[in-house]
Amino acid sequence: MKALEVAKKDLKIEFRTKGTLNLMILFALITSMMFSVSIPMSLAKKTAPSLLWLVFIFVGMLGYSRAFLKEVETETLDGLKISPIAPASVLIGKILYNLILMILIEVIILPIFVGLFNLDVANPVVMFLSVTMGNVGFVIVVSSLSILVIKSKMREMLLPVLIFPVVFPIITSTILAVRKSISGDLVGIFSPIALIVGFSIIMFVVACLTFEYAFSD
Amino acid sequence: MKAVELKDVVKKFGNFKALDGINLLIEKGESVALLGPNGAGKTTIVKLISGLLKPTKGEVKVFGEIPWKNYEVRRMMGIVSHNTFLYDDLTAYENLQFYCKLYDTDESKIDELLEFFGLKGRKHDLVRNFSRGMKQRLSIARAILHDPPLLILDEPTTGLDIEGRRELMEYVAKVGRKKTVIFTTHNVKEAEEICDKVAIICNGKLIHFGEIESDLENVYLRVVGYEGT
Repeated sequence: MKALEVAKKDLKIEFRTKGTLNLMILFALITSMMFSVSIPMSLAKKTAPSLLWLVFIFVGMLGYSRAFLKEVETETLDGLKISPIAPASVLIGKILYNLILMILIEVIILPIFVGLFNLDVANPVVMFLSVTMGNVGFVIVVSSLSILVIKSKMREMLLPVLIFPVVFPIITSTILAVRKSISGDLVGIFSPIALIVGFSIIMFVVACLTFEYAFSD
Repeated sequence: MKAVELKDVVKKFGNFKALDGINLLIEKGESVALLGPNGAGKTTIVKLISGLLKPTKGEVKVFGEIPWKNYEVRRMMGIVSHNTFLYDDLTAYENLQFYCKLYDTDESKIDELLEFFGLKGRKHDLVRNFSRGMKQRLSIARAILHDPPLLILDEPTTGLDIEGRRELMEYVAKVGRKKTVIFTTHNVKEAEEICDKVAIICNGKLIHFGEIESDLENVYLRVVGYEGT
């Protein structure tokens, strides 16, 4: 699988330089701490799911789009384009790379966030799964749309404008699922989870089918 | 056998016509210099041949296949440009290993190539610590890893000093034997060094195509309209 090779290469570079990963972790820590001191503890339980997602959105916007951006900065994107590799494999490789970054950040940030907000999570496994599924959808959207803006001088401003409307269903559904996992009331959690999974699958298929047009001339 | 064929190729970028009705036929085993001043359209031709661009009009074929549609035909090309396509934060060996995987090529050739290009002692060094000349040598190794029958060299000597340029041209002459070679340059001497044929491009048009003659410099100056300047 050439997609795996692309992901392995990116991970090797990332673990060697730690440029993106360190920045993402640091940014997530700072925003989590800022939120925790600015929100009254009485409101923590109600607002925590939304704030947690804000942290992941900020961090994701900062880091996931760099998967393609780095190839442009190092002028290696054309090296991939002239190789006998299907554009969809390049996209899948970048998604896999971002997913691994995402899992690492989640594993580090989630317990710290829960601690900072002094949350009493009734069902931590469901919470972790909900956040992970939401993040998978978010990674798919950011990875596939970031290729559209990498050549633009205004990419930092364009990317949120493009991504926020697309990921809106994922954000609302994940917030709902996380809220239910914190309260322990799992009745009706299937609907948001199904929406996240369905939306992610549709986005992945659409991205694979259309990526060739964005990737080439 | 036709290696590369361009038929009535037009390439526009917005309203700007970068190529205007290019017809070019390169037979297997030929080495052709695409000669022309800066902005003539040489790199656009190379990008069309390598599949990086699609023509606005006309047809581009490499070994009978359309390169931007068929990924597999890219296996038959090796491309060296002033841009090395190397990852600075991977070692020389890791860079070649990655491209071996993309081209489904046996990794056993890596050491042999690194030795040929005088980089065996630096195989575990990060490419970011290499000089421009070393990067270009590694870039040629990357381009010929999969032993492609077509070698495309797009101004590979850009940014090299005299010694680096001489060294690179020697390597290019060696690895280009028995291959179809397309070499873009604006330097007449470089074209004469390694090519049998020349295609002179100016303002997006092919204005001369034929065997390299002894007075190439005069032919070039005449056809691009720089005579007496």
